[in-house]
Amino acid sequence: MNGWFGRVLDIDLSSACIKTLPLDEQIAHLFIGGRGLGARLLWDAVKPGVEPLAPENVLIFATGPVTASGYQTSNRFTVTTKSPLTGTIMDANSGGFWGMQLKKAGYDALIVRGRAAQPTYIEITLAGISLRDASHLWGQRVLATSAALGQNDNRRNVLCIGPAGENLSRIAAIMNDGRRSLARGGPGAVMGSKNLKAIVVEGKDRPGIQDQERFKFLLYESRKMLRASPLTSQALPEFGTAVMMNIVNRIGALPTRNFTQSQFEDAEAISGETLTDKYLVKNASCWACPIGCTRISKTDKIESEGPEFETTWAFGAQCGVNDLAAIIEANHLCNELGLDTISAGSTIACAMELTERGLLASDVRFGRADLFAPTLEAMAARRGIGNELAEGSARLAKKYGAPELSMSVKGLEMPAYDPRGMQGQGLLYATSNRGACHMRGNMLGLEVLGLPKLIDRFQVQGKASFVNLHQNSSAAIDSLIVCKFTNLAVADEYLARVLTAVTGVPYSTGELIRTGERIWNLERLYNLREGFTRADDTLPPRLLNEPVASGPSQGWVSKLDPMLKEYYRTRGWDEQGVPRRKKLDELSLSNLVNSEQ
Amino acid sequence: MVQQFQEIGRDLYVGGLISSHGGNISVRLGDRVVIKRRGAMLGRLKPHDLIETGLEKNDSGVALASTELLIHRTVYMRTPALAIVHCHPRTAIAFSLSRDEIVPIDNEASYLLKKVPVLSEEFPSGTQEMADTLANALQAYKIVVMRGHGSFATGQTLDEAFHWSSTLEESCDIALDAKLIGESFIEYRRMSEAYGKW
Repeated sequence: MNGWFGRVLDIDLSSACIKTLPLDEQIAHLFIGGRGLGARLLWDAVKPGVEPLAPENVLIFATGPVTASGYQTSNRFTVTTKSPLTGTIMDANSGGFWGMQLKKAGYDALIVRGRAAQPTYIEITLAGISLRDASHLWGQRVLATSAALGQNDNRRNVLCIGPAGENLSRIAAIMNDGRRSLARGGPGAVMGSKNLKAIVVEGKDRPGIQDQERFKFLLYESRKMLRASPLTSQALPEFGTAVMMNIVNRIGALPTRNFTQSQFEDAEAISGETLTDKYLVKNASCWACPIGCTRISKTDKIESEGPEFETTWAFGAQCGVNDLAAIIEANHLCNELGLDTISAGSTIACAMELTERGLLASDVRFGRADLFAPTLEAMAARRGIGNELAEGSARLAKKYGAPELSMSVKGLEMPAYDPRGMQGQGLLYATSNRGACHMRGNMLGLEVLGLPKLIDRFQVQGKASFVNLHQNSSAAIDSLIVCKFTNLAVADEYLARVLTAVTGVPYSTGELIRTGERIWNLERLYNLREGFTRADDTLPPRLLNEPVASGPSQGWVSKLDPMLKEYYRTRGWDEQGVPRRKKLDELSLSNLVNSEQ
Repeated sequence: MVQQFQEIGRDLYVGGLISSHGGNISVRLGDRVVIKRRGAMLGRLKPHDLIETGLEKNDSGVALASTELLIHRTVYMRTPALAIVHCHPRTAIAFSLSRDEIVPIDNEASYLLKKVPVLSEEFPSGTQEMADTLANALQAYKIVVMRGHGSFATGQTLDEAFHWSSTLEESCDIALDAKLIGESFIEYRRMSEAYGKW
C-alpha cells in the first residue's frame, strides 16, 4: 500500500498490552485516514453510551496517506474520541511536527485504550515502544513536560497534556510540539482520564509514493497556486490568521460581548495588523508548509507562539477586551495549562454576562483582562469558580439558570463569526457533528472572501447545498490530511490528484467529495447512536430571535429553520435528520447500521 | 437568482460564446435544478425563462426545461458541481474537430485549466450516453468539450463555471493566433509536458 503503511498501533493502558494490527485496505480506501479513519475506528472501538471519561473510551491518533509525503502542509494529524464536553464524536487536528513523526514511525493510526494504574507516558522510538512512569511529570505544565521528554531533540516530538487535562477539565486540549493544540471538545480530559501524560514519537521511514513524477508536478503546481493567492502568499504570512479580525468586523459579523453585538469598536487594537506592528517577533511554520501563518509574539512578560484569530477574538471582542498584550498572555497561559482557547475565552465571556446580569457572584465582567490569568489558573486546577468554568459554558449557564446565555451548539462554544451576518455559517454551526465549528466547511470563503466566488451572505435559499458540499469537502481534506489554508488556494481537484498520485487509488474530485460525504454520514450515525436528534441541530436562542442592533448586519437574525429543512432534504436524510436507507446504500454504510440491529 | 442567470446569459452572448438561442446554464439547489427554459434566449432571459424541476424526479417543470436537462442532472448527481455553463465557443469547437485534448499554451489557461479533454459521442445532444460520458469526465476536469458541439463547465456558482468557459475560449484564440503566426514556439513553462497528463 503506497501512502498507507497498513499498520495500526493498539495500546491498552489497563493491561499494558501493545499490539500492531493490520489496517483493513477497504477501510483505508473508503475513509482515507485522519478524521475519516478515526471515525471508522471509533465506531467499532467505543460502544454506545460509554462515559467519555471512562476507560472504555479511546483516543485515536490518525495520520493520512498524504501525511509526511512532502506535499505542502502534509504535517497534520487528528485525534478522535467521544467528547466529554459534547458527548458527540469529536475529532481535533493539529499541525506542527508530531503527526509527521508518527507517520514516519510507520503507523497510520495509534489507538489508546483503558486507564493506566499510575501516571504514564508512551515512548515510540527507533528502539521500540514502551510505557514509562510519568509520576515525576504529573502536575507539570506543557513546556516543562515537553522539554523533559526531549522535545528539542532533533527527531523526537512530544504530545502531552497540562494540568487542565490531568484535572479533567471538559475543555482541556492535548498539546504537541510544546505549543500546538488538538483543542476542541476536551480530548485533553480523555487523555487525563487515562493517566496518560504524554506520547513521545520519533520515526525515520517515509511512506511510499505511487507515482513520483506526477506527484512532483502536482507539488510544483500547488506551490504556484499558493504563491499566486494573496491569502496564502501575503495575508496569512504577513498578519497571521488574525488578518480576519478587521475583515469580519467590517461586515458586522464579529461576535462581541458574548454575541450581544456583532461589531467591536476596538477591533483595530486586536487585529492582525496591530499584532504584526507591535508584538510580532517572527513568523514560523509547520513542517512542509510554505505559508507560515504562525506568529511568534512577545509582550513585556512573555514570548510565545500565537495567538490565532479565534483566540484573539475569544479573549478580545467576545470578552470586550482591547488589550492585545493581555490576550497574547492569556493564549500563552492556555497553551501552558492545556486549555482550548476558544472554549476558555467564550466560557469566561459567558461568566461575564452571567455576572453582569446578577446571576453569578464573581468579579469577571466584560473588559476585565486583568482577571484572565487567575481565572484560567483556577479553571485548570478546578478551584473555586474555576471548577464550574472548567465544565464549559453550557453546563455553567445551565447551573445558573440561564442556559440561553451559553453561545454554543451541542455544548461546543461557537467560533468568531456571527451567524446573523453569515446565514450559511449559522447552518454550518447548527449541523456540525462535533458542535459549533468553523472548520467543518468554508462558508467564510463563499460568504466573505469570495472563494471561489462571492455569494450573498444574507441569502437563505440555496445555502444548504453550499454547506453540504463544503462539509463533505472538509471531511475529505481532514482525512488526507492537509491544512485547510492550503485549500484556500488549491482546489479539491488538485487534492484528489495528489491522493491518487500518492496512493495509486484513482480518486476523482467527485469520489473525494463522496468520500467526505461518507465520513460526514458516519459521524452523523455515531451521534444518532448516542441519542442526538434534530433538536440538537440548532443555535442559541439569541441568534434566532434577537436581531442585530446596529451595523451592516442590522435587523438580521439567523433564519435557520428553512435552511435546516433544505439541508436535510439535500443530504438525503429524513425530516428528523436521519440518513435514509438509500443514502446509506449509496455510501456503503448500510452494513454498519445493520450490524447494530 | 434571476439576476445571476440574466447577467451570465447576457455575458455569454455578448462575449461571443453562444449564438442567439444556443447554450444553457443551470444551478443545483439541493434536490432541485433551476435551468434555462427550452428555446429561451440566454442573452435576454426573463424571470419566466427560469425553470425549476427535480434533480432525480420529474415534475411539470420538465416540460419546459432545456433539452439538455438530462445532461445537467447526470452531472449534478455524479459530481460536486452546483452550477453548469454550457456554451458553444467557436475556436474551441474548431480545435475539437482535430484534437482529443486541448492543452493550453498561454499562461493563464495553463494555470487554471491545465488540460481540457475533447469527448466524442455519435449523438452529441441530450442522450444518456452523452450524459454519462460528460459526467464521468467532469469528475476529473472542471471543463470539457464535446467534439463539434461545445463546452460544459462546472463550478460552485454560475460565475465560476463562466470563468472556465471564457478562459478556454481565450486560450484557444491565442493558440490559433500562434498557429497563424507560424513561428517556432519557445517553451517558457517548467514541466510543461505534464499539462498533457493532467
